[in-house]
Amino acid sequence: MRAVLLHARGDYAPWEDGFDFTPPALLPGESVGPPDFVGVGVQKGGTSWWFELLLEHPDVYDRPGILKERHYLSRFCVESFGSAQQQIYRGWFPRTEGTITGEWTPDYLAYPWVAPLLAEVAPRARILVLVRDPVERFRSGLTFRLSMGAPPTSATVADAVRQGYYARHLRRVLDYFPGDQVLVQQYEQCRADPATELGRTYGFLGLDPFEPVEIRREVNVSGRDKIALDPAAARRLGDLYRTDAHELAAMVPSLDLSLWPSMAGEGSGT
Amino acid sequence: MNPPVRAALDRVPARFHRMVPSALRADLRDRTGMTAPGDLAYVPVPPKAAEGEETGPPDFAILGAPDAGCRWWMSLITDHPDVAPGHGSADVARFFAPYCTAPFDTEAIAGFHACFPRRPNRIIGFWSPDSLDLPWAPRLLADAAPEARILLLVRDPIERLLDGLDRTADDRAPHPGSYLGDAVDRGFYAMQLERLLLAYPAGQVCVLQYERCRADPVGSLARTFAHLGVDPSYRARPLEPSVHGSGPARDRLDARTLERLQGMYSADVAALVALVPDLDLSLWPNFTPRT
Repeated sequence: MRAVLLHARGDYAPWEDGFDFTPPALLPGESVGPPDFVGVGVQKGGTSWWFELLLEHPDVYDRPGILKERHYLSRFCVESFGSAQQQIYRGWFPRTEGTITGEWTPDYLAYPWVAPLLAEVAPRARILVLVRDPVERFRSGLTFRLSMGAPPTSATVADAVRQGYYARHLRRVLDYFPGDQVLVQQYEQCRADPATELGRTYGFLGLDPFEPVEIRREVNVSGRDKIALDPAAARRLGDLYRTDAHELAAMVPSLDLSLWPSMAGEGSGT
Repeated sequence: MNPPVRAALDRVPARFHRMVPSALRADLRDRTGMTAPGDLAYVPVPPKAAEGEETGPPDFAILGAPDAGCRWWMSLITDHPDVAPGHGSADVARFFAPYCTAPFDTEAIAGFHACFPRRPNRIIGFWSPDSLDLPWAPRLLADAAPEARILLLVRDPIERLLDGLDRTADDRAPHPGSYLGDAVDRGFYAMQLERLLLAYPAGQVCVLQYERCRADPVGSLARTFAHLGVDPSYRARPLEPSVHGSGPARDRLDARTLERLQGMYSADVAALVALVPDLDLSLWPNFTPRT
């Protein structure tokens, strides 16, 4: 009902049809261009927390009022993505001299049409991915989607399942971006040792070392109970993801599958 | 909800449902407890078995993406005198939806079997344009119907994608990423077939190409009947192909967009050819190898 009322007054979220993608007006000293980094995954993988830590770095430009998730590329699956559309996207990345900027739309990874669009509009962007135990991610993701008003249907569940095939999705990104332009980190490792992992992210983005205040802060944590998952169903989901998780471990040597309970008994990817 | 009220609402044509904004529709359904096939809370009501009918696992299932001819092919199959009318109803097509998170126990399997009443010596099946896109469904189908013969209908994934988006333009949630992601994913046939082949032996799975079915319905139907173990010489009526589409993709998309879609599907199409060597790519102009 809330969504209906918001839509009635023309208020749409960037992931909804109807959102006005006219770029924000530039402030003095700002210029626009392609993003320097784009986080593409994964939903409920700690990306809001990580993005906040990125923004805290003095060399990362943080324009108040611009959301972490632009969602702009999500809609260009069968639509033309010409220079006008690319210019609009770049318009959403104001920055000042000497700073870098970017976005993190965690759905992008699971949308196979996004990587080629990104390669067209921001070929030098550094790509960030945070992955998390796929079954835990599924539970959190589905709970989140339902709480946001997604219909409780098979399509919603299938979408939540689909997002956990990380290796399959990552392969598409690597078809369009060289491996050294893509950093995949593991949410569980970030929780266990955020300083080291954040140092990796900063270094990957060419940023100097920096210590944010309260690195272990809680961001965007849902207070809701997660959806119930029957133990046998959880095992089935784990089985569905197992091959993909092993493929991911082969692609990302730092991945430690022993940190994922759904892959219980699996060792480190190294 | 009061059953007569629910029954009355269920009879309201879908075009009137679509007049209500999708966000409000979901909210109303949530508040009233109304559910529809595909909803996680939906409990299908099996048809009542007539005298002399028995229930059990389906003998066959037609799986495939929407807009790939499943309904049409089911109508031809059920024209065969040895095939019971069976189901194209959404009830059965989306039976497996809730069981991603719920236990699929003997009670659930019995509920599934109850959906398939047939007289002795006739086979029965169902078609579902959705089950293949639910990654958890093939395993459950195999648990409930391990002997079932599976027919998989595939169609040029780009043409199918565009027609599917056209068909659902007035009736979808207002989240482009979600509905586009769902629509695109349904065209990754090799991925789905690989998943299916983890649940069923290859000999139980027959892959049919929609375009070939249209071009040669008699031959394709004979192949289908043979796969199902019924008399392949039966000539079903009518054989007119279902009509799909509003023109080829090359006339509907700019060259760059079409090229991107071809790139998106090309690896999966190549994998499908490896799995299904008789797939005829000359029937899929978007993927016809250049000579």
